[in-house]
Amino acid sequence: MPWYRRTYDWLERRLQLEGPIKDAVLHPVPKSTASWWYVFGSASAVLLVLQVVTGILLALVYSPSASHAWNILQVLNQQVPLGWFLRAMHGWGSNFMVAVVVIHMAQVFLFGAYKFPRELTWIIGVFLLLLTLGMAFTGQVLRFDQDAYWGLAIGASILGRVPWIGGQLVHLMLGGPIINGATLTRFFALHVFILPGTLLVLTVLHVWMVVKLGINEWPMPGRLVRRETYIQEYNELAHKDGLPFFPGAAWKDAYFAAAILLAVAICAAIFGPYGPTGTPDPTVINTVPRPDPPFLWIYTVLSYLPPEMETPFLLIVPPIAIAVLLGLPFVAGVGEKSWWRRPVAVFTVMFLAVCWASFTHLATSTPWSPKMNAWSGSPIPTAFLEHRTPLERQGANVFQEKQCRNCHSIGGSGGERGPALDDVATRLTEDQLIRQVLLGGGNMPAYGSTLSPPETTALVRFLNTLHPNYQPAASDASRAVAEQGGVPPASTVEPGNGQHKTQ
Amino acid sequence: MRRFGLVLLATTALSGCHMPGQPQPGPEVPRPEAVMSFAQLYGENCSGCHGADGRNGSAMELANPLYLAIIDDAALRNIITNGEKGTLMPGFGNAAGGNLTDEQVNALVSGMRAKWAKPNVLSGMTAPAWKASHPGDATRGAAVYAQACARCHGNTPQKPGPAGSILDGSFLALVNDQTIRTIVIAGRDDIGQPDWRNVMPGRALTDAEITDLSVWLIAQTPPHPGHPYPGTQPLAPHTR
Repeated sequence: MPWYRRTYDWLERRLQLEGPIKDAVLHPVPKSTASWWYVFGSASAVLLVLQVVTGILLALVYSPSASHAWNILQVLNQQVPLGWFLRAMHGWGSNFMVAVVVIHMAQVFLFGAYKFPRELTWIIGVFLLLLTLGMAFTGQVLRFDQDAYWGLAIGASILGRVPWIGGQLVHLMLGGPIINGATLTRFFALHVFILPGTLLVLTVLHVWMVVKLGINEWPMPGRLVRRETYIQEYNELAHKDGLPFFPGAAWKDAYFAAAILLAVAICAAIFGPYGPTGTPDPTVINTVPRPDPPFLWIYTVLSYLPPEMETPFLLIVPPIAIAVLLGLPFVAGVGEKSWWRRPVAVFTVMFLAVCWASFTHLATSTPWSPKMNAWSGSPIPTAFLEHRTPLERQGANVFQEKQCRNCHSIGGSGGERGPALDDVATRLTEDQLIRQVLLGGGNMPAYGSTLSPPETTALVRFLNTLHPNYQPAASDASRAVAEQGGVPPASTVEPGNGQHKTQ
Repeated sequence: MRRFGLVLLATTALSGCHMPGQPQPGPEVPRPEAVMSFAQLYGENCSGCHGADGRNGSAMELANPLYLAIIDDAALRNIITNGEKGTLMPGFGNAAGGNLTDEQVNALVSGMRAKWAKPNVLSGMTAPAWKASHPGDATRGAAVYAQACARCHGNTPQKPGPAGSILDGSFLALVNDQTIRTIVIAGRDDIGQPDWRNVMPGRALTDAEITDLSVWLIAQTPPHPGHPYPGTQPLAPHTR
């Protein structure tokens, strides 16, 4: 007997793990579960392992100190060989993990896998999702750059809105009244000990229940879940039309996990690590902080909410959403599993997906936010200045210097808060332009008190040139009438039959 | 063996070659006061009005070798830092409430010179000084306008020439005598405004003529420029 065999036998006699592992790996599963739709759960677990491994490697270098954290990341990016790649793997691994966990959840929901007897698996899964998001947020804080600083500020101001105990909660979160060194230490403990510890324990429980209760069979329309008969039906399915989990179904999981890891590595190599952006210094005001991808949709939602809706929304909607997720298996724990017969479920997933995609897309361009340096950094396209009078050129200077450009784009650059002005003269007459500039309206502030009459005149003359050559500027027909003493000009249109004017 | 080769290839690719995701040297977002690159400073602070390459903007052409030849560093620094009173040029220096440090203003001045100045552009010529040396005479300025400017800019605001009126009250209220002096001397070759040698048919304008002209032009500013109904009295401040 070779030496490794003897070592194995010596260990096995004492550990006795072979039996349970064999049972778990070779247990029969319904043939229909060997599907590419069933790979997201295992991929989430593999990504968790990737995050743990890269996270431990990062922790060997990182220092959770407010004065060092940012510099350490610079050292990792610039000096440690492949340090930037390690950071990029951890950052992109985080994005992929959130994405795969959410897809896994949607798949479980659409396949009815949360129904009896897997209610607790689903509930623990909900907590795993929350923990994953918590890991993403605390991880962003550990970068301790401008995004982290302002992300914390948003988080603190949300917590501060909780009635009665808001102040204490903020104090607990930040480790003091302001964002400081204690905040970073606190988030380090959360990100490295508390959250991942809980995440790992719950993941083990989650997988244990999957093994014990069996992988959800492919839902068939009309095959209803009943508490009395389901277990027996499932066991029949698994044994009569089943196959051992390994290698029958596991090879697809392995391939998919490998593909996901490769995708993380490719993204890391091409797009690189996240930041760190500027130093976390609140005196640097020309910064555009932005949350990491999993939270971009929240950024949009909060930006578009009217101010009076913010507090109710922030304090009421998240608890309701979590309660709905947790209550789902108790409300719909039996019955139809197939998406063919659950139109509300399908519609809900599609609706949420479309909302999420639109909000995330909007957050990448932040059209609600003025572009604060457009006035000095976005040149006026040359075409808009050709053959213009000296006064109109001064008007263009007013347009830039008074920062109209920060909210209004021309030539495709500038803010998107107000309408683009490339052809504003086809929409508004000179009088209407003057009125709009001086009095504002339609979400635009009034500039009457900040513009002198010559500035207004010059600005409006410039705006009045903003129309394509083939399109005339908007004109006020009543002006011509007034100039002729109230007599309408003779019509150039031939009157039709029966339309002759009676003088 | 082949697998070993693949691993070797991947390792060299990662460590040796420059991957697109590898961070550039220096912080990704430097502190605003640490930015010293002329291209970035000019692009973020000046290009909005003075044009992407210092040309074809709504405000003065900075990539104008004549302009850079007549103005000295101190004057340029002063305009960038504190702005130009009576015009739309704001101050960008920290002292004037702007974002730029003295070092950044210096970087802009030296960058403009390095990029756009031509050392011999005035060789063999005596150009008028950038700053007027004496007060000037408005009456003589009117004659200079009629000879040198009226051809293109018209004799009255109501009858502008092909280049548009510069007698318009609103225009005059938004510029000062230095604006006029600078553009008459240096011209703007990007939009076809000739320099001091070519405004008048046959000869160059003299320093005194330019001074008189700018004094006369500014004196044409009406008492209530930009007022849409010039005949009426403006509202008293307390009734606004």
